[in-house]
Amino acid sequence: MGLIQRVIEAAGIPTISVTLSRGISQKVKPPRTVYTGFPLGHPFAFAHQRFRQLQLLRLLLGYLQTLDQPGQIVVHKLSRDEDPEQHCVLCDGL
Amino acid sequence: MNVTAIKDQLLAKLFRRFPFLFRRWVRHHRFVEFSDSPWTPFRGPLAQSRVALITTAGVHLKNDRPFNMRDPAGDPTFRQIPAQAAPGDCTITHNYYDHSDADQDLNVVFPLERLRELAALGEIGPVSATHFSFMGHILPPHIDTLMHATAPQVARQLKQDGVDAAILTPA
Repeated sequence: MGLIQRVIEAAGIPTISVTLSRGISQKVKPPRTVYTGFPLGHPFAFAHQRFRQLQLLRLLLGYLQTLDQPGQIVVHKLSRDEDPEQHCVLCDGL
Repeated sequence: MNVTAIKDQLLAKLFRRFPFLFRRWVRHHRFVEFSDSPWTPFRGPLAQSRVALITTAGVHLKNDRPFNMRDPAGDPTFRQIPAQAAPGDCTITHNYYDHSDADQDLNVVFPLERLRELAALGEIGPVSATHFSFMGHILPPHIDTLMHATAPQVARQLKQDGVDAAILTPA
């Protein structure tokens, strides 16, 4: 995904992404990316967590406006325990 | 489902269940690496900015062509998703991550409904008319196609659509 982001940014459109792997982002170096600690397959939290999904979009849009250095990987972890709407099929049995 | 697909999906579940295995895979996998990043400043204001979503989660309209899961090097093509698409209009073709949660709520990987809500609240400008989806498991030789053909094509379309900012979501 970082490769696509780089192409779009280079074409003149500012971009921001969620990253699920800081290791990959450190290699591919997308212009702006945010690591929130959600697991693979869950860039925008868990199913039916409307509150959290809006929060994540707002977080990204906030960083889009404030980051001023290319290649930054922001670590902004969100604890799912804080979300009253938590529901996670994949968490069942963990 | 063939044996390869079952193996890929099992691996995806293992990576999800045991993140250290995924981190280990990342350390040993060869990615295209760069020493710097492109940069386009965001000019804003956000409340007047047209925003597009781009995902690599293998989302596509149910009546559109699925991504090619038979090529082990992936599928570098993309699919268009109109702004008005409902989650029920879409499906996911992607064997390389566990999308059981996303199958229940597409916003987990492609938060188009949430983006429309932010537009309705006036927090962003209009939602772009068209959004784009790739399948995020691209290996050589398809990386060249992605970087030099399909991703630039999406970038051109975003420019034509007057997009002011793009949000990218992996899977």
